[in-house]
Amino acid sequence: MLYSDHHAWLHTWLQRRLGNAADAADLAHEAFLRLILRPAPRGFGSPLEARAYLRAMAQGMCINLWRRREIEQAWLDTLAAQPVSFAPSAERQAIVLEALQEIAALLQELPPKAAQAFLMSAVCGMSAADVGDELGVSSRMVRKYVAQAMLRCMQAHAVQTAAALRQAAP
Amino acid sequence: MSGSPAAQAGPLPAPDDAALPPHGVMEQAAQWYALLVSGEASAADRMQWRAWLASHPHHRRAWTYVESVSQRVLAPLQDSPDPRLLASKVHAAHARARSRRRVLATLGAAAGAGWLGWAGWSRMPFGDLVASWTADYRTGTGDIRAFTLEDGSRIWLNAASAASADMGAGLRRLTLAAGEMLVATRHGDPRPFVVDTPQGRMRALGTRFTVRREAAHTLLAVYEGAVEIRTAGSATVGVVPAGRQARFDGDRIAQATPADPAREAWSRGELIAWDLSLADIVQELGRYHSGHISLAPDVAQRRVFGTFPLRDVDGALAMLAQAASVRLRRPLPWWISIEARPAAASSRP
Repeated sequence: MLYSDHHAWLHTWLQRRLGNAADAADLAHEAFLRLILRPAPRGFGSPLEARAYLRAMAQGMCINLWRRREIEQAWLDTLAAQPVSFAPSAERQAIVLEALQEIAALLQELPPKAAQAFLMSAVCGMSAADVGDELGVSSRMVRKYVAQAMLRCMQAHAVQTAAALRQAAP
Repeated sequence: MSGSPAAQAGPLPAPDDAALPPHGVMEQAAQWYALLVSGEASAADRMQWRAWLASHPHHRRAWTYVESVSQRVLAPLQDSPDPRLLASKVHAAHARARSRRRVLATLGAAAGAGWLGWAGWSRMPFGDLVASWTADYRTGTGDIRAFTLEDGSRIWLNAASAASADMGAGLRRLTLAAGEMLVATRHGDPRPFVVDTPQGRMRALGTRFTVRREAAHTLLAVYEGAVEIRTAGSATVGVVPAGRQARFDGDRIAQATPADPAREAWSRGELIAWDLSLADIVQELGRYHSGHISLAPDVAQRRVFGTFPLRDVDGALAMLAQAASVRLRRPLPWWISIEARPAAASSRP
């Protein structure tokens, strides 16, 4: 019922936003799937309310899709800058891309400087002093940023582990 | 000091609520991590960190999350071709997404915009950006798996490998996209059975063989029956009989040599080292371990004999330390260093 009432306009709305019918169809499908798996807490009082809820949800999904595309592009740009002889295996590429998507999703909630400090020290292996020089902050501040970002990532993993344990429990 | 690291208990099966240590403990773990990677940690700091780790199960539990972030998220990026360029590109993408997000923030407020962020991405296809992403059969780091194909044939995929199957009316065709696989074809099916790599096509005339992708070559080892190779470029044809192995590229098939029985031992979860160098073994173990293993150059050529469990890399390394008289050090939890034993400690009580 929800589906037949709302699918058409949501699909049109998404297509306008994304400029692409296939993406729009995928996201519309995902949105309804999500509603079925986890219904809105108190149901909907009116069709207008359902519409607002769906639209807000689809909006968030568009942002995530865009971010994923940006990250894919960042990886392709990095690869393109390598000498022609360099060709990581497909599996290797998939692993890197997966890790990138994950870290980008986690870091988006942090202040830009904290995200950058974390990438520089944890991924590039730069010392806190070098990162501080580059960002114009003290190395003490860099450590604070790194701890903040690591905590965010740890929490996400912990939540995931707890969810898995709960699922495994009888 | 003489106790074996293998005797240490692994992570304990935690009751439900212990999966989430108190927030303060998680924070401490993150701070320890920040100090340890800062380049400013002293030897005393490291000792304090170890003491902190040992002093409470919650501390160890919290640290396992530091480890899982390091191994699953950070290690692949550290190993990428150009981490610095990658980091700057990610940062730029991050900034662009951020400005777009700000514009739209008022709209997204009602519906947890981040829901795809954590769990969703792992289920979403990346399209055909990378071949193995869409392969029918895949394994990750440290993962060996057996699959039964539609026709009843079996394949075992080694760690970090990917393959696709296409069982047509006239042909059974496997494509190895990455890594290594062992194939045992089923008898009595009239359709030809072939394995494709970019370097050529292998047609099974018998039943059991392994195919491994290397940088610009394919390595074929045959254990039962025989396999015919046809190279992709020059269409050179050669037959490799049981007990032999041959390496080929798009044009040439190298002279067959005796097949190394150790080449299929991985399908049983074993690494058989018969006079292998430590460097070779560490390279092989690296496929089953998502952390970093560094090997000191002065011990890299030591010869090793023995059988090592691939599903338990920590155990395998502890055995290796015995077999090759080397010492293991862990500067960081995801970083294992293999070095010569200090002269004074090499004679054991």
